[in-house]
Amino acid sequence: MKIVRSTAIVVLVLAAFAILFANHLAPAGYEKQFREIPQAAASAHHLLGTDDLGRDRWARLLFGMRVSLTLAPLAAFFTTVLAGLVGGIAGYCGGWVERFCKLLIDFFLSVPWLFLLITVRAVLPLNISPQASVAVTFTSLGLLGWAASARIICSGAKELMKSEFVWMARAAGFSGFKLIRLHLLPNLRGALFAQFWISIPVFIIAEANLGALGLGVSEPLPSLGSLLRELQDAVMLRPEPWRLLPLAVLIVVISSFQVLLNKQEVRA
Amino acid sequence: MLRFVSGAVLRLVALMLMASLAGAMLMRIAPGFSSDDQELNSGLSAASIRAVRQAHLADSNIPRFYVQYLASLVRGDLGTSRSLNQPVKELLRERLPVTLWNLAIALAIGWLLGLALAVGAQTLRWRALNFLANGLSGTFISTPAAALALVFLLLRLPPAFAAALLIFPKIYRYTENLLQQSSEMPHVLTARAKGAGPLRVLAWHVAPIALPQLIALVGVSISIGIGVLLPIEVISDVAGIGQLAWQAAQARDLPLLVNLTMIVTFVTVCATLISDGAQRGLTRSAA
Repeated sequence: MKIVRSTAIVVLVLAAFAILFANHLAPAGYEKQFREIPQAAASAHHLLGTDDLGRDRWARLLFGMRVSLTLAPLAAFFTTVLAGLVGGIAGYCGGWVERFCKLLIDFFLSVPWLFLLITVRAVLPLNISPQASVAVTFTSLGLLGWAASARIICSGAKELMKSEFVWMARAAGFSGFKLIRLHLLPNLRGALFAQFWISIPVFIIAEANLGALGLGVSEPLPSLGSLLRELQDAVMLRPEPWRLLPLAVLIVVISSFQVLLNKQEVRA
Repeated sequence: MLRFVSGAVLRLVALMLMASLAGAMLMRIAPGFSSDDQELNSGLSAASIRAVRQAHLADSNIPRFYVQYLASLVRGDLGTSRSLNQPVKELLRERLPVTLWNLAIALAIGWLLGLALAVGAQTLRWRALNFLANGLSGTFISTPAAALALVFLLLRLPPAFAAALLIFPKIYRYTENLLQQSSEMPHVLTARAKGAGPLRVLAWHVAPIALPQLIALVGVSISIGIGVLLPIEVISDVAGIGQLAWQAAQARDLPLLVNLTMIVTFVTVCATLISDGAQRGLTRSAA
């Protein structure tokens, strides 16, 4: 198992390196069109060939990784903060506040994500810019994904509120923000970190599904999800197997997160 | 029991009220809500166009719009699809059975596979089986539903099987953890020390503890199944509600989309409440 974990770390480090140095590793920008060679086969100059519009696939893969693998952790951070706030407040206050927060959590857990995400995308104007579509996609993910984490944080906070050291702190006059900052947050840090780590692969997959359906990041900006759309041209997969590379990268990166996740969960 | 049922019904009503409010708000703020194709009809008189605009202006008051929307929902009127020009109720009647059938197949296979591998890994304790089960669950948990649907389309395999493979990792991982925890309990260790075989230990000592929690997972797996069926139906061209939702999103047919989301929410909440109830019942009877 140690080898598997080490491999997962190496994969994630390589992915981080690729997204950091995408500008240097790519032969051109993600939107640069080589109009004279659309649908070119893989070559020394274009490692994965070019797409229908003559854009270099390798460059689009690198920049797509940058979009997905940078923004998914950001959305995960956002979701963790939201989960910490709602779950923490519910666990700390108890009573009707907890009941209301739990109803809110139940609501977000009941509504199917993908249906809500495509509804949100349908509400947006047609002329939305690619940058705005990225922001909306990942913000929506962050806004919708907090409920399961909040439930765990809420039960964690409730347990802590019953613990002896919190009782002693309260008896010593600690309350409100000071109690949360000094006693609750440090003890919930492990659970919060695990929730953050769990959310990253979930968001990458959700974006990939949205992108494959054409409802994720808008063209010409690439993402790991939007690159999967090329796979729908199934006839070309046999003669050009390198078209499968975005899918392979996606699966390998998410698997690496999952492998490390098991370790993080145990630690939390 | 009566208290639980009344609480569950209240929860269902509150959740559906919240969902309908969110739906009505989304419909109201959507671009183009206050415009109507009829305004472009050159055959209509100025007074008729004014009347059409007035009708839309009346809807601009959100609370009033919500009350009207709720009243029509209570009457069972889910509105008319703008893009398909068909009552939403009719569309649901055509599409819902297709999705439910695929969901049932996917759940059955996903649960069978997940349980079989988890039980096998716990009772047989073969390294190869553990490695295979973990490898399979790790791969499918990392695969987007749309990509797996594409692979199944290329291999000409039934799309419900793709959904089953995406449901199975959750069942397998949860069941394996649960069986692992249960098998470390003192009474199970005692039974094993007294010479009880693995199957006997599983059937008599582990299963009664794990079963109520597994029942609670049914509701969650239904929610997962509905989620993964949406991209699968789109890619595999299955005429279910997932594909309908995608078509509605493409056509910006918000009334249809919001109503579909509400229906799916209703199904999910009901499934969760029923599995919660069953879990409570089983836990009580075991106690």
